[in-house]
Amino acid sequence: MSLYAFLGTLEIGFIYGLVAMGVYLTFRILDFPDLTVDGSFTLGAAVTATLIVMGINPYLSTLLGASAAACAGLVTAWLNLRFNILHLLASILTMTALYTINLRVMGKPNVALIMEPTMLTPFLNLGIPAMYMKVIFVAVCAIIGGLLVAWFLYTQYGLAMRAVGSNKRMAQANGIVVNEKVYVGLALSNGLVGLAGALFAQTNGFADSTMGIGTIVVGLAAVIVGESLFATRSMLVIVMSCILGSILYRIAVSMALNTDFLGFQASDVNLLTAVLVALALVFPKLRSEYKAKKARGQEI
Amino acid sequence: MIRCDNLHVTFNHGLPTEKLALRGIDLTIPTGQFVTVIGSNGAGKSTLLNTIAGDIETTRGRIFFGDRDVTNLPATGRTKDIARVFQDPLAGTCGNLTVEENMALAYGRGQRGTLAFALNNKLRKVFKEQLSRLNLGLEDRLDAQMGLLSGGQRQSVSLLMSALQPSSILLLDEHTAALDPKTAALIMDISSQIIEEKKLTVMMVTHSMRQALDHGSRTIMLHEGKIIFDLEGVERSKYEVKDLLNLFAHSRNDGEELDDDKLLLDS
Repeated sequence: MSLYAFLGTLEIGFIYGLVAMGVYLTFRILDFPDLTVDGSFTLGAAVTATLIVMGINPYLSTLLGASAAACAGLVTAWLNLRFNILHLLASILTMTALYTINLRVMGKPNVALIMEPTMLTPFLNLGIPAMYMKVIFVAVCAIIGGLLVAWFLYTQYGLAMRAVGSNKRMAQANGIVVNEKVYVGLALSNGLVGLAGALFAQTNGFADSTMGIGTIVVGLAAVIVGESLFATRSMLVIVMSCILGSILYRIAVSMALNTDFLGFQASDVNLLTAVLVALALVFPKLRSEYKAKKARGQEI
Repeated sequence: MIRCDNLHVTFNHGLPTEKLALRGIDLTIPTGQFVTVIGSNGAGKSTLLNTIAGDIETTRGRIFFGDRDVTNLPATGRTKDIARVFQDPLAGTCGNLTVEENMALAYGRGQRGTLAFALNNKLRKVFKEQLSRLNLGLEDRLDAQMGLLSGGQRQSVSLLMSALQPSSILLLDEHTAALDPKTAALIMDISSQIIEEKKLTVMMVTHSMRQALDHGSRTIMLHEGKIIFDLEGVERSKYEVKDLLNLFAHSRNDGEELDDDKLLLDS
């Protein structure tokens, strides 16, 4: 892998680290499998890119992009909580609706940002080459995001949210308003994913209506890789391992694609990801079945 | 004080499976009284407790805490006044969280969670002190995951958790039923201590007639959603388990044999 390719991998890895944190919040903390992220990643990018092209300050645009994505999360939560639509289905509905909304926001399938000012622009004349600067910038964003998420999970409010995902009845008996925590959790999760989309659009120079496809699987892959690295109960370590998992996942994929004798093409990445996630989900079960079998064998 | 006025609860209203779980409960429990609630399966004991806690909506009738009408207050709004321990040891605690995190949640019961850290060393000291009352060695396992503790240990912690915040009412729903006899005795002991200490108003549902007579100062029996008798004071002290069983058999008013093994437990 060339240095340039490696830096690109790191950059994408850090950006999707934010996605992984969002996915961790829904899948693991709230026990709410949320597929909205496929749409909200694009929404964050689309809103940000469109506003930047309109001449709005890139930082404000990014904030608005992430907020729009957070609202998408609220819609999913509302469909689920208010109307009892199954969480997966509610998120698929929002995701599908977002596909149209993203096209409407941009007014065309993609928006180019190559010549526009971005969040990065102020840092590009500091003397550090742009390809390094981009990585440093997204790394700082991901790490600050991670610290904030970890801090949040350690607070009274965050702990209450974790209780909701773990045992709703107990949470309620302790005066925790369950629905409110689900709303806030989904908004936060999708806000992080929208922020990742906004960063992606600005570092890569475009927003595209199809850029969000597979976001959920990539995020989940990063969470699972991260979890397999450290067996810990520390929220800080878990959240940071989302970022690390995302980077390792990206490196693994790019190595697989760059190793000629394997014969993979760039378009194979989705299959690779799906197989990787499936294996990671299946492995713990197979292992426990194998152990149970072995234990039975010893008894006889 | 808890007051129930003509409390009715109907499940599946208007359907073939309609069930009249409570049919006109009139009950006043003065502040500081410890009431034990008995009755066969399906008599409405748990429904009564869950209705008072706010988990179940009342179909008719009103509930008061003191002078306050709480009939329309949701469960989360009543947690300022009510602490609960469930029958299932897994229900009262979060298996994914650590012992100290669970206790921190209970410590914040009925208050709005803020963005302050949920745990700090001052709290850990309080939790340690409380846990050491149990003599289970849990005071050294504050950061252990709750799911790794045994059912008895989890139930003990739930009990302590219920007393971390001042509350006036404690609802115990067969909280020793799922435990081995020794642990059950320990839990009952600690419950009595806490109740004494905090001068709580208590309702304890139990399947054990022995437990019902040995604890508290009043016993009520439910049958088919109604209170069929209410024993207090001197009269209650004359009662033995076999008298209760007789009464119970009468309540079925057909002289049918008791088929509920659980009722005979400990008797």
